[in-house]
Amino acid sequence: MQNQDDARRFERLFLPHLDAAYNLARWLTRSHSAAEDMVQESALRAFNSLHRFAEGNARAWLLTIVRNQSYTWLKESSGRRYVDIDDEEGLSEREKVQLAHSDTPENWATRMQDKKALEEALESLPETFREAIVLKELEDMSYKEIASVTGVPIGTVMSRLARGRELLKLKLRAYHE
Amino acid sequence: MNEMTCTECAGWLNAYLDNELDTEASVRVRSHLEGCADCKARYEELAALRQGLRTGLPFHEAPEGLRQNLLSRLPRTSPAASAPRISREWRRWRMPAFSTAALAAAVLLYVFTPVREDRLEDEVVSSHVRSLMVGHLMDVVSSDQHTVKPWFAGKLDFSPPVYDFTLQGYSLLGGRLDYVGHQTVAALSYRHAKHIINVFVMPTNQSDAAPKHFSVRGFNLIAWRQNHLSFEAVSDLNAEELQALAVLFINQAH
Repeated sequence: MQNQDDARRFERLFLPHLDAAYNLARWLTRSHSAAEDMVQESALRAFNSLHRFAEGNARAWLLTIVRNQSYTWLKESSGRRYVDIDDEEGLSEREKVQLAHSDTPENWATRMQDKKALEEALESLPETFREAIVLKELEDMSYKEIASVTGVPIGTVMSRLARGRELLKLKLRAYHE
Repeated sequence: MNEMTCTECAGWLNAYLDNELDTEASVRVRSHLEGCADCKARYEELAALRQGLRTGLPFHEAPEGLRQNLLSRLPRTSPAASAPRISREWRRWRMPAFSTAALAAAVLLYVFTPVREDRLEDEVVSSHVRSLMVGHLMDVVSSDQHTVKPWFAGKLDFSPPVYDFTLQGYSLLGGRLDYVGHQTVAALSYRHAKHIINVFVMPTNQSDAAPKHFSVRGFNLIAWRQNHLSFEAVSDLNAEELQALAVLFINQAH
């Protein structure tokens, strides 16, 4: 039975990456139930297009589907409020001044201990930066893999990570002030 | 090689931190950092941020119910009578995948894509996945190498080296017996940031070999041989950091 072979292949290739799929969906949608739906739907899609997946990076392939699914959900659920962020946008003058005034290493180390602040700071980033940070720091993906999941050139991945980290720094510094 | 300016350095700093630069560029960044306190401070702040994120951010694991639910939706020998709604959904999704063109393309891809999967590597990765899925990571739970090592004695006909590398960022979680390549092998589990690494150790009669990287089904695998033992480290961790564990092992044995 073709179906059973498919099922076995699916289990072998994609089930190991279910946690990664859920984690990404959860960070993107910021909702437990939406994340479950995203993973369910993405898994169905992955299963049904299993024949188009030859061999290669199963995790990146699954995460690409999850990511696209989550963006569709975000657009639908936020209606017209959804705005895509311009990646090339640099720091504002005010941000540059804030960043130039640097923290002492000790201060910074203390801020890094505050898990709640870290989580809230990342949750408040625009999606494009949030996903880049999640794929880099929690999934440990290379720029090339992140580029394939998010559908942008490697250079854009690099600038999104750089900008995302700058934004996180600003938010974390502002957190206790 | 010309001197790097601070502006130039700032542009490369993230890629340097992420280990994405080629050797020449990373040497240039490193030498600039050595001579520039400002850039060095900026780099250290970034590195601390990265460490903070890696250890402090929650990794949301898929709820067990979700996994079970998905498994129950997969086609089985007899269709699950209890889930008619679900099987309809599968069919609904199936339709577009069966356009003639898509099918033809799929067949072509399938036929012409060389599948490079060594059987042993594949087995090792499966074993790694199984250990994570069934929650059977360790038979002996200890971060103490002097507890784990004797535990293997009498259970194996070879003595696997057991080291804890907590100081270097790779904490020993424990060990277990596993079965790979028709033999009983030692599996050592390590944690590095959010990632679990399984190191499989088995005897070999082949000569020593330097670490070699393979990518199998989205996992990284580093294999090397030393002192008549064959090592296979598997994880979803990136290849560089996995390789660093291999190097720790090799240096420890010298």
